Amino acid sequence: MFCYQCEQTYRSEEGAGCASAKGMCGKDAATADLQDILLHVCEGIGQYLTRARALSATDAEADRFILFAFFTTLTNVNFNAAKFVQLIQEAAQIRDRARALYEKAARDAAKLPETLHGPAAFVPAADMNGLLAQAGEAAVRKDAAILGDDVVGLRALVLYGLKGVCAYAHHARVLGEERDAIYAAVEHALDLLARNPKELGPLLDEALALGHANFAAMEALDAANTGAFGMPEPTNVRVTPIKGKAILVSGHDMKDLHAILEATKGTGVNVYTHGELLPAHSYPKLKAYPHLAGNYGGAWQDQQKEFAEFPGPIVMTSNCLIEPQPRYRGRIFTAGPVGWAGVRHIADEDFSQVVQAALALPGFTADAEEKRITVGFGRAAVLGVADKVIDAVKSGAIRHFFMIGGCDGAAPGRNYYSDFADATPDDTVILTLGCGKYRFNKHDFGTVGGLPRLLDMGQCNDAYSALVVATKLSEAFGVGVNELPLSLIVSWFEQKAAAVLLTLLALGVRNVRLGPTLPAFLTPALVDVLVGKFGVLPVGEAQADIDAALARAA
Amino acid sequence: MYKVNLLTRDGATIAFDAEPEETLLAAAERANIYPPSSCRQGGCGVCRVTAVSGDITLDAYSEAALSESARAAGETLLCCAHAQSDVTLHAPYDQQAVAFAPEPVRRATLVALEPAGASAMRLQLQYQDDPEHGRAAQFLAGQFAELELPGAGVKRAYSIASTPNWDGALEFLVRLQPQGAFSTYLRERAAPGDELIVHGPKGQFTLDDASLAPRWFVCGGTGLAPALSMLRQMAEFADARACRLFFGVNRVEEVFARDAIDALQAALPQLSVTLCVWKPESDWRGFTGTPAEAMAQALAGTTEQPDIYVCGPPALIDAVTRAAAGGAGRVFCEQFAPA
Ligand code: SF4
Ligand code: SF4
Ligand code: FES
Repeated sequence: MFCYQCEQTYRSEEGAGCASAKGMCGKDAATADLQDILLHVCEGIGQYLTRARALSATDAEADRFILFAFFTTLTNVNFNAAKFVQLIQEAAQIRDRARALYEKAARDAAKLPETLHGPAAFVPAADMNGLLAQAGEAAVRKDAAILGDDVVGLRALVLYGLKGVCAYAHHARVLGEERDAIYAAVEHALDLLARNPKELGPLLDEALALGHANFAAMEALDAANTGAFGMPEPTNVRVTPIKGKAILVSGHDMKDLHAILEATKGTGVNVYTHGELLPAHSYPKLKAYPHLAGNYGGAWQDQQKEFAEFPGPIVMTSNCLIEPQPRYRGRIFTAGPVGWAGVRHIADEDFSQVVQAALALPGFTADAEEKRITVGFGRAAVLGVADKVIDAVKSGAIRHFFMIGGCDGAAPGRNYYSDFADATPDDTVILTLGCGKYRFNKHDFGTVGGLPRLLDMGQCNDAYSALVVATKLSEAFGVGVNELPLSLIVSWFEQKAAAVLLTLLALGVRNVRLGPTLPAFLTPALVDVLVGKFGVLPVGEAQADIDAALARAA
Repeated sequence: MYKVNLLTRDGATIAFDAEPEETLLAAAERANIYPPSSCRQGGCGVCRVTAVSGDITLDAYSEAALSESARAAGETLLCCAHAQSDVTLHAPYDQQAVAFAPEPVRRATLVALEPAGASAMRLQLQYQDDPEHGRAAQFLAGQFAELELPGAGVKRAYSIASTPNWDGALEFLVRLQPQGAFSTYLRERAAPGDELIVHGPKGQFTLDDASLAPRWFVCGGTGLAPALSMLRQMAEFADARACRLFFGVNRVEEVFARDAIDALQAALPQLSVTLCVWKPESDWRGFTGTPAEAMAQALAGTTEQPDIYVCGPPALIDAVTRAAAGGAGRVFCEQFAPA
């Protein structure tokens, strides 16, 4: 195996990348290789679908399959090798269907269909051992010796960015929001990757195109969530448990959470959110369920301890799963793209088994001391007080906005984000989203200009909201986003964050602080490009970075 | 107070403090750390680790738990050892094997018992609901539990034959020993409605879910119980991988659990079963010999590299390990504590 898609990838003197029997995340070599092959076959689907699309023929089912397949390969999503054998066979069938679609469209247009090579013609072996023997053809770094690390690294940026786009688009899709432009962009990127691109220029263009596609995906997701559950509103959420039977729902999927709230109606079972489902409490249609009792625990990397201590079943939707420990392996369920061999999977949104488990398990035997935090400062809430915000900025009450957003992780160096938040001056506002906030969201930041100093905008999935706010503020002040008193401090961990970064770059947002380390697939030369073209900065020391941001704004 | 560092096989460090007068096991448990142990008095060897630095004294223990040569090589027993300085220990297991909460002790009601062949009993238990654990039966397929007769001071370890469930049902297969205290209870006094205490679940003998190899189960007598649990779990998960069961008893009348095996074959169409009888009467049409011999024959006729799960008497485990030596497959077994 070789994988360097996430921030916790193995790093040594010789370079970075997980290349031994197991990655740092626990992904084993067979699963990693099978994931590569699955994406390779998806590239083949993309080759046919782009050409079919040019002839006005599309296959929405195939596009949806690609989103799901890519999502399964994100860090900490699916570790079940057997599932990938099955997905590869399914991908090959879909690819054959896409070929037929393209060939028919060509004939209908009185054109001679092209004979395609590479992934389009790849024949996956029928069994596991055969597939593993083919892994070399699909490996991320297969051409590194000939083409060098820059090309391979930029290809990886496109591939990993594409993973993020697919994940966001899948989230939106399950709630019924689809955008044809996103599918077209996904297919285009797959087709480009299938051609083994060797030039940096087209790859960089593709990365930025994916940034735009990701903006569309995040917009679709925002529409999906707000359409289904209403506009997030500031909400006080209990973060300590109450007595009673309990279910914990982790991940990012509001639809699954909704189905679980429905399934537990009238059963006396309380539902708690974990990790990135915290923002769910701010959606009117979700918080209307009185048994949506609160939020439990912190960010994903603490789950093994927290899940072990949770006295009821746990449902893991979407990302970020780590190896289920024996103490809770029997009562954790996966849903959607998530999977772990030997763990119960719910494929059909029927959560009745989980309810049964909750009733059979002890639940919390006593109320814990009440503690609450406020969430739900999505775009509607922030823009709802836009006048106040603008006045506060004009009067000097608010000097600066810091957007501290993105993923958390277990790696050292992540204290930077809590140090940063704690050190921000009292006349500044902290906007936050993603699970990185768990490092500081229970701190008391007080208020400024009549507003809470800490405004939680939601999930990593809610970066759209942040961008809308930035755009509206820049309109109100009549300046570009880069001239606003606003700094972005992005903590990345996995590929959704990579996609968000591409979006920021595509939209021309400069001076983004990225950390805690830079992506391992970005070579020094590629980093130079990002620094030169987009002003991307690695994180440094918290206080110095704050000073620099304030000095630049002054 | 001394510092103890227990380094697990997968590289984790588990640290706790120990007073010289308490055993290392007691010191760990005081810190809510529960390394594998069973008899807690130097009899079983389950708590064995290797001391790499520091001074340790040992209480009395049995040679079966720690041989002279093992002790000379630095091995020690957590349940008998006392720290006399800061100590570093190497554990022969992964961090996963260490629990961070006390082992559940729960009350259960005996709901049914019936003979299983000529020399074993099948027990069905039902956990009682309690505020700490609820009523669910949570364990990993293949684990065992210790059953205790209240008031009698008798505690015996048996593998669970059923799968984890939310109803709190547990099934055990118990071999009747001529003089055994628990066996005597089962033969003479046990009746539905009796209350038993269940300690556990315990044990590391569970499916390697990450492995994609075919699974072969080799069982002697009531060693069938964990295999039943694991195979039933595969059936519940609709696991399609190849699997075989080699199940052996000494005499034909000892064959039991035919109904359970038939049900498994219906639920797992890919399962192939070899029934083995060591000393059959003339009309036995199945395999004659031990399940280890049947497995060795099957191994000789295949290029497969199965994961072999073996459960039964030590001689069976030995025979299977020898037959599989040279890379024919990976062998998994429980180092059962003779209680
Ligand atoms: S996802 Fe991250 S930790 Fe896992 S194998 Fe890839 S680079 Fe390593
Ligand atoms: S913000 Fe990133 S790391 Fe955190 S849970 Fe979401 S995807 Fe995972
Ligand atoms: S627990 Fe230590 S020897 Fe048995």
